[in-house]
Amino acid sequence: MNHRTSSLPTTRREFLKLTTGGIGLLAFSNFAPSFLIESVRASTPRPERDRSILVIVQLAGGNDGLNTVIPYEDAHYYRLRPTLGIPKDKVLRLTDTMGLHPGCSELNALFKDGKLGIIQNVGYPNPNRSHFRGTEIWETATDSDKFVSTGWIGRFLDNTCAGSPELDAAADPSAINLGSELPQTYLAAQAHSTFSLSPGQLRRSAGRNLAFLESLVKTPADANAQAGAHDNETYLKQTMMDALVTEKRVQKILSGYKPGAAYPGSTFGQSLRSIAGLIAANLSTRVYFVSLGSFDTHANQSNTHQNLMRTLSEGLAAFQKDLEAHGLADQVMTMTFSEFGRRPMENESKGTDHGTAAPLFVMGSKIKGGLHGTAPSLNLQRNQDLAYSTDFRQVYSTVLQRWFDCQTAPGILGDTFKPLGFV
Amino acid sequence: MEATAPVAATTAPIPALTPQNAWQPLPASEWNAAAARHLLRRAAWSAQPAEVERAVAEGLPATLNRLFPEKPTRFPRPESIDHLVEAMPSFNTRLRATTDAFEKRAIQKERRDREQSVQQETTIKWLQFALRPEVSAQEKWTLFLSDIYVVSFEKVRNPGFIHLHHAILREHGLGSAPALAKAVSRSPAMIRYLDLQESKKSAPNENFARELFELFTLGEGNYTEQDIKQAARAFTGYRVSTNPSGARAAAQKSKAGRGAGGFYFDSRQHDTGSKTVFGSTGNYTGDDIIDLVYKQPAAATFIPHEMARFYLTDAPFPREYLATLGSWWASQSFNLRALARRFFGSRLFYAPAYVGNCIKCPFQFYFGLLQDLNLDVTPIPRQTISPLRQMGQMPFQPPNVRGWVGGRHWINSATLAARRQLVQNLFTPFKESNLNADEQLEIASSRAAGRDRFYIDTSRLQRFSKTPPVDIADTFLKTFLTGTPSPAYREEVIRFITGDKKPVQHLARVRDAGIALLQSPGYQLC
Repeated sequence: MNHRTSSLPTTRREFLKLTTGGIGLLAFSNFAPSFLIESVRASTPRPERDRSILVIVQLAGGNDGLNTVIPYEDAHYYRLRPTLGIPKDKVLRLTDTMGLHPGCSELNALFKDGKLGIIQNVGYPNPNRSHFRGTEIWETATDSDKFVSTGWIGRFLDNTCAGSPELDAAADPSAINLGSELPQTYLAAQAHSTFSLSPGQLRRSAGRNLAFLESLVKTPADANAQAGAHDNETYLKQTMMDALVTEKRVQKILSGYKPGAAYPGSTFGQSLRSIAGLIAANLSTRVYFVSLGSFDTHANQSNTHQNLMRTLSEGLAAFQKDLEAHGLADQVMTMTFSEFGRRPMENESKGTDHGTAAPLFVMGSKIKGGLHGTAPSLNLQRNQDLAYSTDFRQVYSTVLQRWFDCQTAPGILGDTFKPLGFV
Repeated sequence: MEATAPVAATTAPIPALTPQNAWQPLPASEWNAAAARHLLRRAAWSAQPAEVERAVAEGLPATLNRLFPEKPTRFPRPESIDHLVEAMPSFNTRLRATTDAFEKRAIQKERRDREQSVQQETTIKWLQFALRPEVSAQEKWTLFLSDIYVVSFEKVRNPGFIHLHHAILREHGLGSAPALAKAVSRSPAMIRYLDLQESKKSAPNENFARELFELFTLGEGNYTEQDIKQAARAFTGYRVSTNPSGARAAAQKSKAGRGAGGFYFDSRQHDTGSKTVFGSTGNYTGDDIIDLVYKQPAAATFIPHEMARFYLTDAPFPREYLATLGSWWASQSFNLRALARRFFGSRLFYAPAYVGNCIKCPFQFYFGLLQDLNLDVTPIPRQTISPLRQMGQMPFQPPNVRGWVGGRHWINSATLAARRQLVQNLFTPFKESNLNADEQLEIASSRAAGRDRFYIDTSRLQRFSKTPPVDIADTFLKTFLTGTPSPAYREEVIRFITGDKKPVQHLARVRDAGIALLQSPGYQLC
């Protein structure tokens, strides 16, 4: 046996060839990827390709919203930010009063083209300032005193996929995460196919070793195996086979991908490149999640934040340009979120502490650009926090109802939240 | 791809065993190497050949007495915790000395960072401790109890309290269950974690009382909201002092926590009035409530059920079997050591349905790997703690008060990739010159303590250089997998190691074979 090429099927056609070529489907079903089995049994067509897609960008650590979208005509801003305030002449002007951080020149251009929307002052009642809990609130979309174990996208998948098993049987994951830790956003009550792709995973998994691992997954291991009612080995084999097959497909797609834009070399930029490649490969995946970290700028934040803004801006702009080059831009909306904004008043270490509300970005060819919602009032005492004016679940509600055309948004979000005008 | 939510499993059959005879001792004639391997893998981290041999020779009852000893082995408090405790007054003095909010925050952050690094250091020390074969079963039992009596460093923020909490679990973990519950109610970490600290006469906080009933002792459906409200009043006045020199701390009795501050009872905040809980009325204290809990029928089956979930199967466990074990346990005054010996010595524990079908938790996967490969803990957080987090089990930081769910929840494409990566790392020598100064110091001090095997390199594979592929395959299969390998599987491994017979490649193939077997689904099970 040649271990350098794997005999595993990577496409439905290959799989069908295998199953009609002598290996019985049932015999194979103990360890074949579940999606292949399901779709062969059901002979379902692939889901339509022109579905809307959402890319979620997490700014982990708490992005300083006030230095991202800057009220450069507000004297209070410069009072609260004596050293960190961005001088008026450096701000990239969006309107007569609001502007972007100087690191965001690409985002500024997108704003001028109407492809970037800014939703101002987004938060929720009784804000939590813990990274852990704050992130959980945003990901699970609950009130700050309620705890649930599922994420808002997980519940969306529960809703859209319930009663239509052919979606789960599709060859593509319902949701993909760029990173090794499954975001809470994806946790669901029902089983959905999701795939996590960590940056190092692709480089290492090639070659002889992987082919051998695959053959071990395929070969029944135990001489005395009895198909029990609760067979964890089959479960593990199936999950691992699914992971390996998807990994290999993804690897194949990405190694052959020709982007229509130059991406920055940052991990974030490369992750967005991968997402564009997967979208361009016509995967039926509807949600992608990618995280950009280090926003927890307690001290000497000026340079750090400048670099972060540039990484974000360059990455998002390359992504948008790439999608446009592939004619996919109409299908995709990208949105950012962060667990909290930072304290309006800078601290004595030339940094900012955990705060509350902040603006977030939405990007896409089909979205309504410009400023949405109202800017926060900065007429604040020392160390006072911003009072939010748009609930983050209004943003989710807009995405669910108007972008995904999902009629059960109130059920998913636990209440009715008035959609916003960005879609 | 993976399922984001595991599919509910059906009840596993327990052939030939009735609820009446299932918990009877395993006949001595059925105690053999295979049974010993099962016991060691489930009750501890792995089944090393020497340990298996010893267990078979000693017999099951003696082995259980040894695995679950009357007196626990202490995990000594790392000195860094003492230093942190000593440094606390100076933090407090500095905090009092400033009125400036920013400076206060800077001091608080400095303290938080210090606590964080001490916690990391403690975690590494604990990993080194728990890896020792003679305490592996004890530490797994402590892990089991800590997955019931959950606290998290994330909220508690005090490494000394986290250490003390686990010392309490160790000290009372094989004694009486009510005594354990009472000790835990005084654990400073628990008092902080479930906000008992905030609970006062005029405003009792229900968090602890609720979790005591729901998650620690009885389970949902075995109490009313009224029971919780009334019980919460009995637990008022439980307080924690962080000031080691304060007069209050003098009341602190526990040796393990001496000097660290700790539990004290503030009688002024205690509600001495009459309470009605589970239909009984009296001027109950917190301890009285725990005694009442253990008069409820549900208390007898709660811990047995948790044991079945943790040690036997993630499939639903039949109630009628729990009932017989529970009523026996109640007759033993809820002694946990008796329960452990009964459980791990029972016919049911060795039933084929429960052999080789348990998904290893990340701790077990990690410790098992190190023991199977005869490796030491690499004392570098990013090489040791990060993989545990990526596999889904951050030490001393369970996700919430329910603890880790376990079973199939451990497995998704990301956690499987993290498991594969960990194996790969253990077979990849790292360049010590690339480590930072702190890390090099840690490595040096570990070496000095005789712990210097951090990875498998070519020199450690050298002993296989002349071994025929068939023998290597059989050694690997026997060491790494449960059960008997199928001929096709064995053939596959032999064929891979044989390769194209270029001797240069031989050791590389042995290495790759080892890696793939440890990454394979079979090694994720025990």
